[in-house]
Amino acid sequence: MTSSADAARPQAGEGRALSQETREAGRFVPGQPDMWAFVLFESMVFAGYFTVYVIRRTRSPELFLRSQAKLSLAVGVFNTVVLLASSWSAARCVQLARARSYSSAHTHALLTMFFGSVFLVSKVLEWSREIHQGLGFTASEFFSFYYFLTGIHFLHLLIGFVALGIVVHQLRSPERRSQAIIETGATYWHTIDYLWVLIFALLYVMR
Amino acid sequence: MSAPSTGALPEPPSGSLLRKIAWHWRCDEKRELWIGWWTLVVFYNLYGLLFFVITRTQPPPQPSLDPSGIVRWFADRHHGLIYGFAIVFIVGGATAIMNATLAYTMRRMSVSRAFAYSYLVIYALAALPGMLLMGIACTVGAMRPDRDPALLCWLYDFAFLSFEGTMGVFLIGSLVWMAAVLLDENGVFPKWFGYLNLCNALTEVVVAPAWIFKEGAFAWNGAIAWWINMVVFVVYTIAFLTLIRKLILREDFGTGPLPELQTDRAPAARGLTQGAR
Amino acid sequence: MSSTSARRLTLAWLALSAIAIAQLGVVSLEGRRAPTPDVAITSMAIGIALVKVRIIFREFMEVKHSPRWLRRLTDLWLVFTGAMLLGCYFVGTAFSTG
Repeated sequence: MTSSADAARPQAGEGRALSQETREAGRFVPGQPDMWAFVLFESMVFAGYFTVYVIRRTRSPELFLRSQAKLSLAVGVFNTVVLLASSWSAARCVQLARARSYSSAHTHALLTMFFGSVFLVSKVLEWSREIHQGLGFTASEFFSFYYFLTGIHFLHLLIGFVALGIVVHQLRSPERRSQAIIETGATYWHTIDYLWVLIFALLYVMR
Repeated sequence: MSAPSTGALPEPPSGSLLRKIAWHWRCDEKRELWIGWWTLVVFYNLYGLLFFVITRTQPPPQPSLDPSGIVRWFADRHHGLIYGFAIVFIVGGATAIMNATLAYTMRRMSVSRAFAYSYLVIYALAALPGMLLMGIACTVGAMRPDRDPALLCWLYDFAFLSFEGTMGVFLIGSLVWMAAVLLDENGVFPKWFGYLNLCNALTEVVVAPAWIFKEGAFAWNGAIAWWINMVVFVVYTIAFLTLIRKLILREDFGTGPLPELQTDRAPAARGLTQGAR
Repeated sequence: MSSTSARRLTLAWLALSAIAIAQLGVVSLEGRRAPTPDVAITSMAIGIALVKVRIIFREFMEVKHSPRWLRRLTDLWLVFTGAMLLGCYFVGTAFSTG
């Protein structure tokens, strides 16, 4: 993957010395603009899914409420905080790579994977607990949406691990370390995080 | 392959469209590529016309129709199904040319030829769930309107599940194309198209609940499983039709990075785009 | 610069997490009664989520350092999504038969 964005971004050495004014002028697109196009497109698709969910919910509010009561808000909050932490470490990774602290950046990339894995395990445990209680995909319309939204999000998270793998691979060797690719991978990861923030609000919090 | 050619080409003649087309047929080195591209364009338009207007099988009907509703559905569309799918069967072979054109884009990339070949093999199967199974089921259903309603219900489910339901060939095929685009160093396609292939692949996962639900957003005609998926598919199709056209215009028949489109195009290319419009 | 941006990121994460944890309070708001549709909680949940997403865009995804078109596009998506979700929610609730 090559990117013309590499030329536009402030190089690491310059970054430390840039004055405020130069930084204002030195705006850059984080990672490939192509990834941003994808991110915004996927976000539109998800906005479509969320809208359908809201519409269906307003048709049978009592049914959705009764089903929603079976979810654990605490687990949802835990998952949200963990995924936010993974976004924090992904963002730190990008900053450290830009400052050429590659071994720290590498650690933070691995930390991102760790937090992502915690989310994955927590989600699977949550699903299996719910399925054991008889609350499966077809238990009610709410649960159909619950498994669909969290499921398709889970799939995006798995793809995110591929992106993180590429980031880690980049950071490992001095011959690679393309800042553009690292930022591109991080951009994708953050998307999974903010989509979850919306999913959490719609499935766990809204009444 | 011939050496990259630029500039030293005869001018297409001015005059009628027929003269221009005849000239391109005889002299244009990109003739086969343009035949491939035009096949794609004509086929997809025809496909839309046949499925949405003539057979009226799209947008799909509800899975929750009762047997008498299904009998009525077939009866309402009797002639459309027979004649529409007859045309689908006749032009079905065009998919070979289309798949070859798509595989060609991968041969032009810097990645291994294995990508193009695996794409071809995967998509050789695509016409089955992509149109033939539905065509067969619907025409069988339409052929004898007095058939046992239980059999018509079977044909109805078979037609729509095979057509709307997850098609693994498109899922894997899109991932192959995605990988090729992202790894390519010849700049054949922009990276965003690689990512768009991922979106297309995911639509095949999104529709998977259609095997379970007979109504609602996840049924084969649902707001999520069909309508939103269709938006993604249409965007994807328009994107690759546009990008392949650009590729053919840029094509230099070399093996290195594909040159960018020049604003002052070579005369042959200019004539082609005029013809293509 | 790197220590301030690191601190900024950490503060952003703390703020976002605090908001998430505070939403545990929704349960205590309801108390022991069976949940009922609540326009206020829903509007706040969606509104707060959109604010959180904007913070993620600006701080974590570095959109605040990006060209104007990207800042505008991300804000536009937020406005569009908010309008769709809240709009459909209010219209749907108004026409709902329960």
